[in-house]
Order: sequence, then C-alpha cells, then structure tokens
Amino acid sequence: MAISGGKFQKSSKASEEIPSSSLADIAFLLLIFFMVTTVFQQDKERPIDWPEAEAAQKMDEKQKNILNIWMEQDGKVYVNDAELTMDQVTAVVTPLYVASDQKLQISIRGDRDVPYQYMDQLQQALIRGGVLRVTFAAELETNIQRERR
Amino acid sequence: MSVLGKKKKRAGEGIPMSSTADIAFLLLIFFLVTTTFPKDKGLALVLPEANEEVEVAQENVLHLLVQVDGTVEVKRGESESVQTVRAADVEGIWRQEFASNDRLIAAVKTHPEAEYGYMMDVLDALQSANASRISLQLLEV
Repeated sequence: MAISGGKFQKSSKASEEIPSSSLADIAFLLLIFFMVTTVFQQDKERPIDWPEAEAAQKMDEKQKNILNIWMEQDGKVYVNDAELTMDQVTAVVTPLYVASDQKLQISIRGDRDVPYQYMDQLQQALIRGGVLRVTFAAELETNIQRERR
Repeated sequence: MSVLGKKKKRAGEGIPMSSTADIAFLLLIFFLVTTTFPKDKGLALVLPEANEEVEVAQENVLHLLVQVDGTVEVKRGESESVQTVRAADVEGIWRQEFASNDRLIAAVKTHPEAEYGYMMDVLDALQSANASRISLQLLEV
C-alpha cells in the first residue's frame, strides 16, 4: 500500500526565490548617482611626444582647478580643443583664474620637440594673465630609461 | 516486487543563479572603493609675478645655458669660465654648489631654437637635486 504523502507535511508559503524586484531600483539609483557625480574631461588628448622626467610628481589639485594647455610641435597652442594665439591665452586664462578663487593650476602639455621660444611666449602670456602655478606635464622616467639615453 | 516507496532524488539541473546579483554587487562595490583615477604628473613651478624684478647678487646665481644641441653651459656668477656638461650632470653640479652656498638660484636660460625637452631635462635634474629656487628665461642670442 502506498504511503499517502502530504498528510503531515505543510508546505511553507514563503517564496523560494530571493526577492529581486527592488534590484532594478538599486541599479537605477547607482546609475543616477554616477551620472550626477561624474565630471568628464573637457578636452581631447592631442598628439604630442611627452617629455620625460624622473622628478615628475602628481599634481596635487582638484581636477576642476586644472587647465590643460597643449602645445604641439609646431608651436600651436590648444585649450579645450580650440587653437589659440598667445594673446588669446591671456584672455582665456584670466577669467578662469578669478572664477577658480585663484586656485587655478596650469598643466602645460608641451611636445618635447617644440622650440623653446614658443614655450617662453606661453609662459609670458600666463604671467600676464596672473596665473603663476604651472606644471610642466611629463611622463615619469625610470632609471632604466635614463641609463639608456 | 517493485519498490514503490523509493523515489529517485533528482538534483536541480540548473546552476543556482540567485546569488549572482550579490556577487555582482560585491564586485561593483569593491571596484568603486578601490578605483583611483590616474593623476597628471609633471614638474611644478611657480612663475614670477608680472613686473616682479628682484635684484640678486651674481655670486648667488648659477647660470645654466641650454644650447641647441642639448648640452648645458654652466657659468658661476660673474665668472667667465664656462663648463659644458650634459643635462644629467646638472644634478651633481647643483648639489655640489648648493652645499657651499644655500642661497643659490638656478637661472635656466634656454636657446630659442633649443627643444623644450632639453630644458625639461635640466629642470628635471634640478628638481631631482631638490632645487627650489629656479628661474626660467630665454637665452639672448
């Protein structure tokens, strides 16, 4: 005779599944959080040969207070993807410096083959604009690379 | 006699997927916490203010003249003697000179046609030697 099952077994009403209906909410919250907090880099990288330096240190300033000034091999200056003359550099930098509560720091990203006279003109333009804290951007050079040079 | 009471136990055919979300979120949070974005690197310098002219005694100035070919001519103060060195040698020279005069200022004068990279090599050597008083100028030719 077959034993009739289920007489003493009460099936639990709790679901076997982990409730996953709120997963989408959490995912969207995270998505919105990152959409709001993310700040994108304003300018594209320009094709330059980076100079190398052993003593290169990280820029200790918030990203929003850093302005990249690119100088290509032919001495052309680019700020935020726009080509500028030296006079325009002063005009662009001065209001940014005031707006940043004088915390603006310039990252000069110059091609290592650019003649120095252009770099000097750029420095003079920055001095006229009142921005004095600059960093000559460079890639970190290791000792091995230096030995080879 | 057939065995009626025994039922064959069947294991679930699928891989249990209910914990996947937990693992995914743990990974997400792990990377959120550990990620640091690469910071820009470079040689920091403070430029002089406009119209700022400071009188410096010649004996406190070490002139480093960066030439077109990347060599560096070292002149000490008013002395006429010129020593031609490589950019990498500047570090040792600065350490030596600074040991005898701690008010020394490095005046890096770069030839207008010289590559910017050569000036960077000299600046790198100076900063490697912990020089803090550095002046960048254009070499008058």
